[in-house]
Amino acid sequence: MGRKHQIQITVNGEAHDLLVHPNKTLLDLLRYDLCLTGTKKGCDEGDCGACTVIANGKVVTSCLVLAVEMDGATLTTIEGLHKGDELHPIQQAFVDSGAVQCGFCTPGMILTTKALLDETPDPSEEEIKHYLEGNLCRCTGYIKILDAVNNAIKQMK
Amino acid sequence: MDNYSIVGKPIPHLDAVEKVKGNAVFTSDIKLNGMLFGKILRSSVPHAKIRNIDISQAVKLKAVRAVITSKDTPLVRYSISPTWADKLVLADQKVRYIGDEIAAVAAVDEESAEEALSLIRVDLEELPGVYDPFEAMQSEAPLLHDGIVSNISKTLRMECGSVAEGFARSDIIMEDTFKTHAQSHCSIETHCCVATCSATDEVNLWVTTQAPHPLRQRLAMTLKIDVAKIHIMTPFIGGGFGSKIDLEPAQAISVLLAKKTGKPVKIEHSRKEQFIATRMRHPTVTHLKFGVKHDGTIIAKQANVVMDNGAYNSHGPAVLAYNNVMFSTLYRVNNIKYEGRLVYTNKNWGGACRGYGDPQASFAQEVMLDMIAERINMDPIDLRLKNANIPNQVTANAVKITSCGLKECLTEARKVSGWRTKKAAGKKYRGLGIASMIYTGGGSIGSGLNYSGATMQMNPDGTLQLLMGALDIGQGSNTILTQMAAEIMAVEPETIRLTTADTDTTFPCMGTFGSRVTYCGGKAVVEAANGLKKKVLENAAEMLEANPDDLEMKNKSIFVMGTPEKAVTYAEIGASSFYKKKEPLVAHGYYNGPEVSPDFDPVTYKGYPAPALVFGTHLAEVEVDPTTGKVEVLNFVAAHDLGRAINPLLVEGQIEGGAVQGIGWSLMEDVKFENGEILNPNFHDYKMLTIKDIPKIIPLMIETIDPNGPFGAKGIGECAMVPTAPAIINAIYDAVGVRIKELPATSEKIFKGLKEKRSK
Repeated sequence: MGRKHQIQITVNGEAHDLLVHPNKTLLDLLRYDLCLTGTKKGCDEGDCGACTVIANGKVVTSCLVLAVEMDGATLTTIEGLHKGDELHPIQQAFVDSGAVQCGFCTPGMILTTKALLDETPDPSEEEIKHYLEGNLCRCTGYIKILDAVNNAIKQMK
Repeated sequence: MDNYSIVGKPIPHLDAVEKVKGNAVFTSDIKLNGMLFGKILRSSVPHAKIRNIDISQAVKLKAVRAVITSKDTPLVRYSISPTWADKLVLADQKVRYIGDEIAAVAAVDEESAEEALSLIRVDLEELPGVYDPFEAMQSEAPLLHDGIVSNISKTLRMECGSVAEGFARSDIIMEDTFKTHAQSHCSIETHCCVATCSATDEVNLWVTTQAPHPLRQRLAMTLKIDVAKIHIMTPFIGGGFGSKIDLEPAQAISVLLAKKTGKPVKIEHSRKEQFIATRMRHPTVTHLKFGVKHDGTIIAKQANVVMDNGAYNSHGPAVLAYNNVMFSTLYRVNNIKYEGRLVYTNKNWGGACRGYGDPQASFAQEVMLDMIAERINMDPIDLRLKNANIPNQVTANAVKITSCGLKECLTEARKVSGWRTKKAAGKKYRGLGIASMIYTGGGSIGSGLNYSGATMQMNPDGTLQLLMGALDIGQGSNTILTQMAAEIMAVEPETIRLTTADTDTTFPCMGTFGSRVTYCGGKAVVEAANGLKKKVLENAAEMLEANPDDLEMKNKSIFVMGTPEKAVTYAEIGASSFYKKKEPLVAHGYYNGPEVSPDFDPVTYKGYPAPALVFGTHLAEVEVDPTTGKVEVLNFVAAHDLGRAINPLLVEGQIEGGAVQGIGWSLMEDVKFENGEILNPNFHDYKMLTIKDIPKIIPLMIETIDPNGPFGAKGIGECAMVPTAPAIINAIYDAVGVRIKELPATSEKIFKGLKEKRSK
């Protein structure tokens, strides 16, 4: 398993000094060590996108990243989007558009959307689809997820 | 038109806010003090005798707390019905597919549990395997199970009228063979469970299930534990699609490991385990023979079906029976013959999968109808209208239909899609295809059980509480059943506190499958809410010295019609009844129907007792790339007769999700086997549709207001993917003249078809 490494990461504005095994994924660190279980494990192989978080402004599938690689990183997980009861406009749009069914893919979908809109506030349909292609959903057929993204864009203008 | 203020409104899922915040707790999020991690050793060969299992090295590992084999189990076989039981939680003498459970380990962390698995020595004597159901039916084929004389697990034979006579009277006879393939459910959440078990068998199980109450029964039987000692709790469930109905070995194993160690034990499937060792859609080979008149009247139809069961039964015999019922009940045909065989093979086994044998039936029948329409030069929609079911029909196979909107589905889909104009334009490489479906709109009492229970109470402070056995796996039943209760009690749905699917606190419910929760759960909720409303009104009448019939409910208060200023509030009523009268305000509701008619045959499901039938039509517009054979679905209309849409936003979500799952099954999703091994057990090689692949979908809700359904509603969930594949296959034929009779319709198959066509 190897020796533990010391890393420093900031998650949702909170700084953490942690000792981690070199083989621990960022996903497991978030879910098990930091108890941020909003980030989901759907495949642990980088295929489904349920574990998506934002690291240093970029979308990452946290199951494919080792926690030690994240030393010094600033992360946003789904728990860091809303302020108390006040939802982020993307979260609100997912609720209002009926884009949430079982909700297991939802955190990843929302964070991917956030990274997209941070980078491109007014994306084309093609850009939206390109960005969200790596996030699988079995319940909605994606139609209402697209509605949600478009509604969020309108709200955030 | 009924004037409802909450029923029929497109409100978002009530639990969506918790889900978008990441606060919703799923089973895999549960962590208990001292919790151990369980892992399962699975067979790596498709068929073998177990000579010996040596766990001595594994138990020596420091972090290991328990290792179990079949010797630690009561060796009770299970399936969804005791009569078909053939699966042990842990194999004792034989393994029958790659993935079969052999042993299990509990350790302090996942890595140690994995390491312990690698230290278990299993001495296997490999046996010849059989992977094709037709080969498995041969007399020399290796037999999968002890004491069987053939690998045919179930044979169904049904004839209504006389097909021989019907074919003799027909103008045209058409025959062909249609094949379907395995589909994995692919809920993004994998199966997971966390168990505690005391030395005296007091069990707590948090689990990803669609059917907590039946799971409790099955667990009790399989582990020989008193059912009353088992408490099943359902956190949020990350999708099911049928995969989470039957008992999973992991669930029983987690209980056994928890008992042996005295610690909580969690088992979470990997995605690979999800593909190789949880259920999938049964592949079928269907030979059809149809006799029709020149005017399109279907005189007789006959199906011979071979269904690939895989290694164990699970739902298999019932799925075969549903394949028969749905094939036989759709359309008005007097002479029907069905023969079906369910055959064991050394592969992962089939189970319930959205549509339960119906998509396979729909594919064969609806492609056949398209071929008939072409042969008799009739519009495929007109052919279906000619033979469509009608309200209050009793079918040849003795199924009683109440409401029926099949004709409306067909005509609306035709109108909205621009069928006639587009067909007339005949744009090159573009095509339109249509297919219809029938399914249950509220489960069935075929097994003797179709129960749902609910309790509604007004607390002393006037707040309302709804407790129901029904379970929301993402489809939205928590929202729509609350809408029904809120409509009756004249409150906003979000003000009703909800407790669902906990075997200790809610009345039993069969669970979430068979498109039954809206209907059966709804009937129970409506009865409970109406019961409570009556009591509340009686209390208010006493307090207001008025007649209960003269009262109106509004804004959580009750007053004599026309005098809202003289009102009593729900809080006053709740307090008065609870404290002064000393009568808690509570009412129960229960449904377990419909009545079973004497015509019912529990083997073939002739006389299939469903509370309501639902109908639908899918209409696909595709474009085929002639150079590659690639199909693009451009537009998709999905019309469904669902009685009444309690919540149109959620219904749209069901229809869109179903259609996209159906498109995936039609064109790309395929569990690929080679000698019993699944070659693509991951999302990289097993292709689901992504957001880039989806067409424009127009959901159409045909409201037929069922006379018996709660607020006239019927189910929708499973129905939404039933006729998708044939609609697409028929559209491909319309586009390029290539008739796909074996799913999925991959680019390769279409390209090959185009090439053959060109060379003719």
